[in-house]
Amino acid sequence: MIGFDSYLQAFNETLYMTLMSTAFVGIIGLGLGVMLFSSAQEGLKPNKTLYSALSIITSVGRSIPFLILIVLLIPVTRIIVGSILGPSAAIPALVVGGVPFYARLVELALFEKGHDLKETGRAFGLSDIKIITKILIPESLPALIRGLTVTAIALAGYTAIAGAIGAGGLGNLAYLYGYSRNRPMVTWISTMLIVGLILTIQLIGDLLVKKLSKT
Amino acid sequence: MIHFENVSKTFSEKSGNTHAVRGATLEIKKDTIHGIIGHSGAGKSTLIRLINQLEQHDEGLISVFDYADIRKLNKESMRMLRQNIGMIFQHFNLLESKTVLENVLFPISAFQKVSKTTREKALKLIEDVGLKDSEHTYPAKLSGGMKQRVGIARALINDPEILICDEPTSALDVDTTSNILSLIKKIKEQRDLTVVLVTHDMHVIKAVCDDVTVMDQGYIVEHGTLDDILFSAKHPIAKSLTASIGFNIDDIAKDYGHLPNLTLLRFKGSVTSEEILSRIIKQTGAAINILFANITPSKEGLMLVSIDFDDIDVIKQALEAKGVEIINDRF
Repeated sequence: MIGFDSYLQAFNETLYMTLMSTAFVGIIGLGLGVMLFSSAQEGLKPNKTLYSALSIITSVGRSIPFLILIVLLIPVTRIIVGSILGPSAAIPALVVGGVPFYARLVELALFEKGHDLKETGRAFGLSDIKIITKILIPESLPALIRGLTVTAIALAGYTAIAGAIGAGGLGNLAYLYGYSRNRPMVTWISTMLIVGLILTIQLIGDLLVKKLSKT
Repeated sequence: MIHFENVSKTFSEKSGNTHAVRGATLEIKKDTIHGIIGHSGAGKSTLIRLINQLEQHDEGLISVFDYADIRKLNKESMRMLRQNIGMIFQHFNLLESKTVLENVLFPISAFQKVSKTTREKALKLIEDVGLKDSEHTYPAKLSGGMKQRVGIARALINDPEILICDEPTSALDVDTTSNILSLIKKIKEQRDLTVVLVTHDMHVIKAVCDDVTVMDQGYIVEHGTLDDILFSAKHPIAKSLTASIGFNIDDIAKDYGHLPNLTLLRFKGSVTSEEILSRIIKQTGAAINILFANITPSKEGLMLVSIDFDDIDVIKQALEAKGVEIINDRF
């Protein structure tokens, strides 16, 4: 019998995977996105070689299907996490899958007002680092949060795939206990829980953006 | 104050090289409002961006303040140079996430903690540009003219000696434009400030500038005081620009080319208020037909006349004796 405790545990695992991976993706993706923006032709320090290299990496990263990515990363996961089962084991694949996605969104967000803001900062004598931290990121914060919301939702979806092949969570519950043992009710409840999670993420993201936008 | 010596700047692009500035030699005098005018793509925006090195020149020498060659400055000196040059932009470039007060303080707060005195100075500046009580408003709530006022206050927070204005009124309507120009003029008169202003609108030049540089395709094609340009511009671009504010002498001269002895007269200073022509007409009996007359912002008069008289030299001598300059090389 699948009791309340099982759903709660699965939900917590999904939440854990989503939040942990979003946190890592947020930090690493922001860094990579800033590097992409900075090295681009209109960026702070144009560098064709670096930009092309980063661009290829992010494009390739985004084009590998997530299921295949998990399999490919098994050796790496084993070294970092020490196991290839459980919620923590899903994190490396989720991060590798999410970073290129978010990095591109960051690049786009910064690019929007980037040229004018870069020039403004330079005119005041700011260094490139200061232009990034004091102008570009604060000014692009609503767009960055919006991008992170989209990313977190994609990651929540990925956790279900990871769950189905051993990471636990709602995906695991829906597939292993619901589908494989022919108990559609379990699948339905799991689905509703994950939809609820995604709607909540969207709601929090929207509220944050609204609070941060000064328009 | 600002000196350009044979300065060139080329942008390399996929589609080929763009020569934005070609061999520019230019002197911008202290405490003047210096206008740089030309059509879009003439290189004027690039030229002023060289002053605070938002763009780096490939050739030539630029000296600003006591820095003999600003291309050779190290990071620290470059920061000091830039902090001594305020800049305002066509699209204002305010920080949307910050209030008016935070925007004005930004050139300081980006480097250090803001002291109480600085805060008061910023509030005073906000009042000076006419935005009292708007200090806690966000830019999105302001009109274009108000945004540019914030831009001006922000550019002045470090008490710069130079103010660079890049098309400061191009995004504004006619009335707001004239208000912003009056503000720039007022501020310039209140402080030791050299203003370098880029525009494509000759009305803006006429309203505030002392000196004018006309650019075309990267070249400086005319350079002088506003009156010099209005009276004796020779380059077609400069002529069409002066024509755009009603100094369309060449068109009139062409239309009335069949009239005898077309002559351009320049009345300087107090001579504009004397009745020189009517006296000469009375004395000599000559028929003088006035085809065009206008007065420049610095109260010099410009007149295009046709003189119908047998001995033209008598008239010319009489005019010159009164201090009227005769310009005949224009047509």
